[in-house]
Amino acid sequence: MIERRTTVPSEAAQLWVLTQFLQEFWSAAHLPPAQALPFELALEEVFMNVVLHGTTAGALCEVEVSMALTSDGLTMTIEDEGPGFDPLSLPPPDVTASLADRRVGGLGVFLVRQMMDSVSYERVAGRNQLRMSKRLTG
Amino acid sequence: MNVRLETLALTTLVIPEGRLDFSAAAGFEKQLEQVLAGAGTAPARVIIDCAALEYVSSAGLRVFLRALRASQRAGISFALCALKPPIQEVFDLSGFSRIITVYQDRATALAHQPQARA
Repeated sequence: MIERRTTVPSEAAQLWVLTQFLQEFWSAAHLPPAQALPFELALEEVFMNVVLHGTTAGALCEVEVSMALTSDGLTMTIEDEGPGFDPLSLPPPDVTASLADRRVGGLGVFLVRQMMDSVSYERVAGRNQLRMSKRLTG
Repeated sequence: MNVRLETLALTTLVIPEGRLDFSAAAGFEKQLEQVLAGAGTAPARVIIDCAALEYVSSAGLRVFLRALRASQRAGISFALCALKPPIQEVFDLSGFSRIITVYQDRATALAHQPQARA
């Protein structure tokens, strides 16, 4: 089992720090680069949701990201101290809508659910905890 | 993300290189607006060659959606080409493959004549 964790404040400028963290984990664990995108996307979508909607305007909270690689696959857990919010409660977007009716709201979370094998939300000790797992192949 | 532009007759090729994430989205949207504005003379078509695009998130998809709408308003043909497999998957899952024309590679995109618009 390989584990890594990091904590950043909920600011958009920290996205690259988290991207670096994930990329370093990926190469340290010798994972196939072609399978990184679902985790990179999940990290960005969930983190940016916290940044943009997770706190009252102007306030920051801590966001903790942890990675755990086991024989069952890779699990990424993202926790924040913002007000309780279950992103999985968002209605899915209509991905069959025509161009004129197409909306992008909710698309990020929808993509995360589609690309991961499992996604679960829990409110634990005053923190939002989103856990995402996917089996890697090859 | 770096963006290169190439012009072939009435076609403008936009070549984004790297990661189209939240941080890159606003700048890329501005560049596409400038391309579509075409310095006063609308080009007949815009092709986004994604051969060197490594990553796209929903923030990037939003930019493509807005650019497609703007190009339709301006009567400019708009297409993408050469999506890498992980990015193609994002387009398929999001349903964007159905609303944005995506060609397999640049040669195929260039071989298609811009569609006439009523």
